[in-house]
Amino acid sequence: MSRLRAALIAALIALVCVLSLMIGAVHIGPCDLWRGLIDNEGPAAFTVRVLRAPRLLCALGAGAALGLSGTIFQMLLRNPLAAPDVMGFNAGAGFAVIVAISTGVNWPMPLVAAMGGGVAAVLVAALSYRRGRMPDNLTLILVGLGVGFSASGLSTLLGLRLPDTLAAEAQRWITGSLSARSWTHVAQIWGLGAVLCAMLVVQVRGLGLLQLGPALAAGLGLHLGRSRAGLLATAVLLAACGVAVAGPVPFVALMAGPLGIAITRARGPAARLLAGAGSGALITAAADLLARALWLGVQLPVGVMTGLLGAPYLLWFLSRAAKEGTL
Amino acid sequence: MRAAVIFALFVAGIWSSLALGVQAVGLDDMIGAVLHAAPQTPAELVFMQIRLPRMATGLLAGAAFAMAGVVMQSLTRNPLADPGLLGVNAGAAASVVLAALLTGHTDAATQALWGFPGAMIAAVTIFALGGGLRGDRAPVRLILAGVALNALILSALTALIVLRSDALEVFRFWMAGTLAQGGQKPLVVLAFIVMCGGAIAILLAPALEALALGHGLARGLGLRPRRTQAGALIALTLMTAAGVAAAGPIAFLGLIVPPLARHLAGPQLRTQIAAGALLGPAVLLLADTAGRLLIAPAEIRVGVMTAIIGGPVFIWLARRMRTTRNGAP
Amino acid sequence: MSKSPKPAGLQTHHLCLGYDGRDVIADLSLELPVGKVSAILGPNGCGKSTLLHALARLERPRAGRVLLEGDDIHATDTRALARRLAILPQAPLAPPGISVGDLVRRGRAPWRGVLQRFSQADAAACAAALEAVDMTALRDRDLDALSGGQRQRAWIALTLAQTAPFLLLDEPTTWLDLPHQIEILRLLQRLNRTQGVSVVSVLHDLNLAARFCDHLVLFGPHGLVATGTPRAVLSEDNLRTAFGLDARVVACPVSGAPMVCPI
Repeated sequence: MSRLRAALIAALIALVCVLSLMIGAVHIGPCDLWRGLIDNEGPAAFTVRVLRAPRLLCALGAGAALGLSGTIFQMLLRNPLAAPDVMGFNAGAGFAVIVAISTGVNWPMPLVAAMGGGVAAVLVAALSYRRGRMPDNLTLILVGLGVGFSASGLSTLLGLRLPDTLAAEAQRWITGSLSARSWTHVAQIWGLGAVLCAMLVVQVRGLGLLQLGPALAAGLGLHLGRSRAGLLATAVLLAACGVAVAGPVPFVALMAGPLGIAITRARGPAARLLAGAGSGALITAAADLLARALWLGVQLPVGVMTGLLGAPYLLWFLSRAAKEGTL
Repeated sequence: MRAAVIFALFVAGIWSSLALGVQAVGLDDMIGAVLHAAPQTPAELVFMQIRLPRMATGLLAGAAFAMAGVVMQSLTRNPLADPGLLGVNAGAAASVVLAALLTGHTDAATQALWGFPGAMIAAVTIFALGGGLRGDRAPVRLILAGVALNALILSALTALIVLRSDALEVFRFWMAGTLAQGGQKPLVVLAFIVMCGGAIAILLAPALEALALGHGLARGLGLRPRRTQAGALIALTLMTAAGVAAAGPIAFLGLIVPPLARHLAGPQLRTQIAAGALLGPAVLLLADTAGRLLIAPAEIRVGVMTAIIGGPVFIWLARRMRTTRNGAP
Repeated sequence: MSKSPKPAGLQTHHLCLGYDGRDVIADLSLELPVGKVSAILGPNGCGKSTLLHALARLERPRAGRVLLEGDDIHATDTRALARRLAILPQAPLAPPGISVGDLVRRGRAPWRGVLQRFSQADAAACAAALEAVDMTALRDRDLDALSGGQRQRAWIALTLAQTAPFLLLDEPTTWLDLPHQIEILRLLQRLNRTQGVSVVSVLHDLNLAARFCDHLVLFGPHGLVATGTPRAVLSEDNLRTAFGLDARVVACPVSGAPMVCPI
């Protein structure tokens, strides 16, 4: 059952991929697509290989990274609302990049984004800290929201001051966009993503134990502090990688885990993470496709589309929580 | 003493807004400008044409957003409830833009009126999602619902603006607030609406205070919770929509001012609302002046300024809020 | 045989536990015997759970040591210790939608290297653990779908899959009705008798403890009151010291164990 449902996500991703390569300002038929993609010839070769394929791969990679990050946070904090976008890490990463652009610092974007995300994470943790107590999840979420508000306020300020030539770039780091992505960015997100996934593989079992509660996990021989810190760092870095390529795309990290798990009915920690990554990739790629294809001749930033998809999800989730009296 | 602080802040806000800027305007210029039929110096011209309308807009919008914030916080019993953060501003802005697109009317007065239905829908939605109808208190749910509503409306607006690139400049006003275009707005009508909203709020204040003790107790005190809630929602909708019509959506003012008002005006809701009417303009005008001076001759939109001040305030308030599982959420 | 045989069992040496500069337990030295079913008893707030957490290295002592067969547990590698000592906390968290079998598999964590696959030995240990708690038939069921007693048995199976000779349980019978409480205590007794597991649990019910345990540790508001067999510990004087309770102690008509009858 579960395998069949996992195949469903894979099939949906494949469908979105094919459609993404075919649909756009220039429509490409299946034959031209094949010739352009595989044989590198025909009228579609340039469009597919230079414009659409890198954009699609960036969407898949960034979406998977964000989805993975959100799923880790949600499992670790045992709260479906805990996600790097809600908790301000994405906004922090985006702000760091926009600072780098406006000050002319020429460091690699993933590094800058990771620093921004990391600083935001440390800020959230430090500002939620009260003496002698673990901060509760709701405080973490609220403080994270506040950090996110501050970061996006400052991003807007810096974005307005950028010269018009950089305005599109600024837009990317405020709302998230996948326009003008090249093979460099593809290498970036997939390369770093692979490294981080390798780091994650080692920690999956620890995540499974942490889900049983701190006391039992420690009783089973887990180093609580070490494994928590490792997982949090991996999740923040994953989110930062996604942001470095696509900007702080909202709601992907929040939606991916619950959606993927609902579709696949995954149970174990590894399966849940995979489901989160898959549905993150699916959401982002599908949102970008919609953003390009819904109105011909107009390209919406992908962040606007995930906002249009994600906000109703969050509202639905909250109204359900209201009915059940949770939260 | 505390009343003196409130008035001092109010006067400081007005004075800074009128006097400071690239063109310094002294008291004699102001008096001259008022006395002379036609402006005789550049300073007088700047005062009459730019500073005075700007200050009036700030006065109106500041009072509107701040009083709406006090009412919203009392109604939801949530110190983080700012009409802007909860999506009421965005609702007003979105319905103005939609109406302009659909009807083609672009004159300021009609536009301003179109804000009310959107603000009302957003306010009721958010209030229901936050558990307000049943009288339970869910601070985190309320705030997140606001985030979602804001994101939804903002994404839709961005999409509209990208689609209608011809109208970009017109719509930019409805994305981030500014006091610079107040001169073109029907300020007198809007001021009247804000005063109506404020009057309703002040009349309802004792009932709202009783409601804060819980629906059961409020009923026992002979109140009708539904009516009080409806009245408060109408009041804050009127004020918010009028504020948005004058200055565009400015968030966080309803977050920054209420704790100030509580601190300076004491625990009574009625005095808090009145204090908000003075402190709101003070904060907004000071923020606007700072935004004009920081990177002169360019300026930072006041909506961005309040967002930058408001983020840390939000964190500070969130830290102070009790979010224990049985109590609050 | 070596010159100094390793002391068996779980011991504390001059143990001090507490938070914020206040000792909940001060200068405690006691021994929990190997191969027995032991219970820690006492009024609320006397530090029973704190002690159990310290015995399982979940709580760092302010002073003193906890020794497992002579080794200081806070100086032992935590994973190595998890193979010798298992703990079931009072309120473990269940991941949503987990099945009994998956839950029990997580008990093998201390035996598996980071990238090691689930081995035959692991599978056998899990099967044995499920069999021991009589849950084999329910292994594919969702934990959420079980009754309270079955759920508690699933959690115990997780700790059994750990195959540690020492098993600590923090109030394993709380929230259960009387038949299920007896079911769990019978299970613990059976595990001890058939598999030689040394069991230490924090319990509330004095009569059940007397009936199903071999060794009792009784705390009062001012520290340790008595240790030993149920008959020795549950005396009328000790009950007055520990609980401020006036009671007669009679022999249980069914088992002959001491039975506390409050006056």
